[in-house]
Amino acid sequence: MPPAMTYIIDSGVPPEARKSRQLTIVAQDPTVRDAAGRIVRARVAVPADWLGPGPRGQRFHVVDYDATTDVLHPAVDLTDPRADERNRPWTSADRFADADDEVLETDPAFHAQNVYAIAARTLGAFERALGRRLGWAFAGHQLYLVPHAFCEANAYYSDDDWGVFFGYLPPIDGKTVYTCLSHDIVAHETTHAILDGLRPRFLEPGLPDQPAFHEGFADVVALLSVFSVPSLVEAVLGAADAQGRIDARLVEEGKLAHSALFGLAEQFGEATSGVRGSALRRSLQLPANDEWRTKLEFEEPHRRGEVVVAAVMRTLVEIWTGRLRALVYAGGLDRERAAEEGAKSADHVLQMAIRAIDYAPSVELEFEDFLDALLVADEVVAPDDEHDYRASVRAAFAAFGIEQPAGRIVDLARSQERLVYANLNFSALRFDRDEVFRFIWQNAKTLEIDPAYYLRVEAVRPSVRVGPDGLIVNEVVADYVQTLNATAAQARELGVTVPADVVKDKTEIQFWGGGTIIFDQFGMARLHESKPLEDWDRQSRRLEFLIRHGFYDRKKLGFSLETPAGMRFAQFHEPDARAGEAW
Amino acid sequence: MARRRTPRPSRVRVRMYQVGFGDCFLLSFEYATALDDGRSERHVLVDFGSARAPGRTGARLLPQVAQLIQQHANGQLDVIVATHRHRDHIDGFGNEQAAAILDTLHPRLVVRPWTDDPTLPADARGPRLAADSHRFAAGLREGQQFAASVAELAGAVDARSLRGEVAALALDQLPNRDAIDWLEGWAKKAAGVYVSAGGDSRIQEFVPGIGARVLGPPTVEQEPAIVGERANDPEYWLALQAQLPQPAAALAAPGRDGDAPPPDVRPGPVAWLVDRLEHQRLGSLLRIVRTLDDALNNTSVILLVDAGDRRLLFPGDAQIENWTWALKDAPDHEDLARLLAGVDVYKVGHHGSRNATPRSLFNLWGEDPDTGRPMTALMSTLSGVFGKSEATRVPRSTLVAALDRRMDLITTDGLLAGQRFVEIEASTAGAQPFVRVGAP
Repeated sequence: MPPAMTYIIDSGVPPEARKSRQLTIVAQDPTVRDAAGRIVRARVAVPADWLGPGPRGQRFHVVDYDATTDVLHPAVDLTDPRADERNRPWTSADRFADADDEVLETDPAFHAQNVYAIAARTLGAFERALGRRLGWAFAGHQLYLVPHAFCEANAYYSDDDWGVFFGYLPPIDGKTVYTCLSHDIVAHETTHAILDGLRPRFLEPGLPDQPAFHEGFADVVALLSVFSVPSLVEAVLGAADAQGRIDARLVEEGKLAHSALFGLAEQFGEATSGVRGSALRRSLQLPANDEWRTKLEFEEPHRRGEVVVAAVMRTLVEIWTGRLRALVYAGGLDRERAAEEGAKSADHVLQMAIRAIDYAPSVELEFEDFLDALLVADEVVAPDDEHDYRASVRAAFAAFGIEQPAGRIVDLARSQERLVYANLNFSALRFDRDEVFRFIWQNAKTLEIDPAYYLRVEAVRPSVRVGPDGLIVNEVVADYVQTLNATAAQARELGVTVPADVVKDKTEIQFWGGGTIIFDQFGMARLHESKPLEDWDRQSRRLEFLIRHGFYDRKKLGFSLETPAGMRFAQFHEPDARAGEAW
Repeated sequence: MARRRTPRPSRVRVRMYQVGFGDCFLLSFEYATALDDGRSERHVLVDFGSARAPGRTGARLLPQVAQLIQQHANGQLDVIVATHRHRDHIDGFGNEQAAAILDTLHPRLVVRPWTDDPTLPADARGPRLAADSHRFAAGLREGQQFAASVAELAGAVDARSLRGEVAALALDQLPNRDAIDWLEGWAKKAAGVYVSAGGDSRIQEFVPGIGARVLGPPTVEQEPAIVGERANDPEYWLALQAQLPQPAAALAAPGRDGDAPPPDVRPGPVAWLVDRLEHQRLGSLLRIVRTLDDALNNTSVILLVDAGDRRLLFPGDAQIENWTWALKDAPDHEDLARLLAGVDVYKVGHHGSRNATPRSLFNLWGEDPDTGRPMTALMSTLSGVFGKSEATRVPRSTLVAALDRRMDLITTDGLLAGQRFVEIEASTAGAQPFVRVGAP
């Protein structure tokens, strides 16, 4: 019997006018079951676009090719076969809403739907938070998603191949485990691709925080994305009484929120036998102090990234607990409502975290820059901060020794020096890199940018956002980078510490700096975030780190991480035991 | 009648043979008076293999080294330790000419890791193994079969290509039947023991007056960390094997990797991606074989030898997962740390790779050569064989720099052509450090 179909065509609205499609996904992974023992699933809204077989939309192209077995599975059509040809690509038929668990686990068509829906939903969350369409780091418009790429316990984003590849574990005891069915893995890898599009220079060899942030941020987005599914939060909230209520005492001190996150952490990685999934578990166990700064094991990017995850999860616990307090009556609270509030809190924190990216430096990111950007970006959209969320954020990061740096984001409106707007075309400032360069060039001194070093404006991106209070924020985000290539001998003269025993005088070294300038709707520069190239103390720390980890070749230092392009995310995650022990 | 005091060696000598990328060490213990059998020396051979011969020695290398061992051991070898069954540690034992020479030395004891035991018997002397360990050992065997299939399908390919890298790494994992047979033959004729952490190596029975402590490999029950990503599961390798020849088809020939594109791929974006994924397939295969490589390295016997006031550490290719037991999880790890801190000679793990000298081990020695115990490091390696990037290169430059700063680092990579071994020696009494014999 063919699987039951659920059609969601609404006769009142022409299909092309609809903003979203409802598609069934596995809420986390096939091991997470409801009380009846069924896989917890969810119907999620996915931004609508003209969808061909693949599915292949404007931003994603699912190609179900298995390189191990050399089999190309047929392209999947998610549209309504009953619709006429012209309308059909706009329609949607969620074939799997009532499908049996076995179908979800084994049908490649569902796997294609699952990766498409989760990836599109993840991108949707970014576009909503940033108020604009986002591009990829590569030259194409469509990111390939390959649900059964190879028989290997691995999944990764490859910028060279314009795709995200999901592996599967070979069948053991007759059961194959697919990474494409793990919500957190799909969201994590998609986030790598999105972040690479937004901040391509985060892949340059930098301080340990930078690669760690790529991992930590991808985990944060994955966790919050999973957590924004109410059916899943309900499943991890634990038992309720006959009225569907939970004991209110659990709300205090964040106990309920904590245990729900722990419940989720237990589940993560369960399905894929330990491939990924440890980030949440480990970050919840991370002692709240700043030891990660000195302990060698935290130089491994995934381990270090857990610090970001831990700080954001603390924020979520705080915010969710605050919302739960309002629900308590007669010593209890409704489990369904508690789950809804959990999902809403997760979505809110997710939006805050994503918005921060626009205000983060274009290169040379450190964790405190992320905190700085998060606080400033939130202040722009929610100036009043009714619920004191920013205090929660500050406290959560401070617990790990991450404090907002002073003066790294300069409020140009309050600057003593006057910025010169002569000879500038304000409308061109909204999109033209050359015009933004002109602005920087004639204001370099005021902006404290040293024009002695090569400077390039890399992107100019207009954005329109609506804050929680309905306020519309209209901005242009312009990123620039600065680079300097110098020999080790020249670098020493500039004041950089370069260890003589490993680096020869003639070794060429590449240095990076850069920043972000935010223009308001009138074309006036409002904020300037910068990591100056000539911060020689930072440059010395960076070189020391790169050398210690062997991220250089015999003649060059700081140019690349010496990993073949496109394979940067492909290596197995280092086992925990190795952290801090390797050379 | 009063029991005779156990004689103790008065001098200890270590020879590191030039085998290119591989390991081969002869530990010789000299006694002031003759022992029961009239000899006044005992010899322990730790590993004998080479994955890449130095210079132009080629096929002549292993028999030549065997001849040297014959000379240096004066006709009798007491103990052979085969730390683990990688080619670069045991293929000398399987070389027809070399093995025939060693056979004339009548080895009296063969020491191997518990994972090599083909039957894993409930031998009272052997480690007590539970189901997980059995499964782990069986998994390694299946993994080696998988590697054999990969190597066979790959055939001879250009070593500089990714395809060649996969083939070479697979070749290193092959079950070395001949070597295993010879070792087994000697063990049957004389004595053999399969050891695990904390177990009895029996070396003291054949080399009187020394201590020979086994710090690794732990069993899976002792140290679950020793289990790599998936290498513990025979089912996993069998399942992968079932996928062959598809994954290895990528190795077969250049071009679009030898096989025709799936029939229904038309030119266009899908065909482009399919083509790109061919490359990823090779990368995937390489990563899978690498997990097996790590897992086999982690079966290495870690031996801590005491001779009077001298202490020598021979850890094979043990990586961090194997070391975790001795350094962190063993009930007596604090005592072991004190012993390890007093090492005089360190055989650098895994030819100087980044994962085989745990920092927590190195830290026990301190960084300052002036205040720390005088130490000698012996590193048998050949650069340019493994690792395409600085971060994966063997030997690893940051480790080499740290060892060189802290101790007297002697490496076979630095030997002149024709120099076939390095020899160091020391008295077993007093604080006089090891000296290099014949050094200017």
